[in-house]
Amino acid sequence: MEEFEMDTFNELGSMGTSTIQKLENLLLVAVPRDLTDSEVLRLRRQVLQDVRRYRSRWVLLDFSRVDICDSFFGRFIQSTAKMASLMGADVVISGLQDAVIETMVDLGMTLPNIHAVLDLDDALALSRSDQRDVWQNDSLGLEDGSFDESEWEDSGSRESPFSNLTEV
Amino acid sequence: MVEQQSSQRQFPIRSVVDVVRARRSGLDIALKMGFHQAEANKVAVVISELGRNIELYAGEGLITVTTYAAGGGKYIEVVAEDEGPGIPDVDRVLAGGYTTSQGMGLGISGSRRLMDEFDIQSQVGKGTRVRAVKRLR
Repeated sequence: MEEFEMDTFNELGSMGTSTIQKLENLLLVAVPRDLTDSEVLRLRRQVLQDVRRYRSRWVLLDFSRVDICDSFFGRFIQSTAKMASLMGADVVISGLQDAVIETMVDLGMTLPNIHAVLDLDDALALSRSDQRDVWQNDSLGLEDGSFDESEWEDSGSRESPFSNLTEV
Repeated sequence: MVEQQSSQRQFPIRSVVDVVRARRSGLDIALKMGFHQAEANKVAVVISELGRNIELYAGEGLITVTTYAAGGGKYIEVVAEDEGPGIPDVDRVLAGGYTTSQGMGLGISGSRRLMDEFDIQSQVGKGTRVRAVKRLR
């Protein structure tokens, strides 16, 4: 059950190919540079649609291509995280360049409640530690994916998946 | 102080696409001058914030990026001008956290922190002129 199920789709017009990819329970979003406001909004809507479509528990916004991040962009990150959380998905970010981060902080942009990871590996470690997926797993014998209370209790707590990270 | 003007570029702003173009050019100009990536990035973000304000409040305007040497230093200057509604309370905008739009209320107050010099001239009903300067270190 360790194999990648990689699925590339939806070209977002001028934004180029494979902006959004599904990777297990993670939606991987490679945020393009130089987005106009309408493209930013389109991207956000596409992300939310795909969260629903693929039942993605995690959204990784990867900013490694982005070299200019103004306050509008900061708001995009915040609003996407807020909206995704209302759907039951958690947003994590990665790949912010050091020059971009320096500007963001000096500008006064804070992104409260946004978790950052170093790279895709860390994002996968986080999403794979997600306890919410346990009761759907075939190994528990729940073929129809229905909720089984006893299994849920046995499978442990709903503690934050971030607890794994802080222990290290 | 005698200013030796070395180069100037103007970017008419009518849409967000113009803003994106202007900030990209600003980044390149600053990098070419020898600014560190992080400093050039700040100039680009200031162009972006000021350009957005033009597009949002005035509809159209002009951003002028000038590079010059003076008193042994090298500078990049960003001037954003429009003939829009003007800012009724400049102090409040400079203080930050004030917005009427979809931003974070950081545009002006944050831009000031990113630059070495920053001043606003604004008259309600006439327009706004923001000048921001960064020195090469």
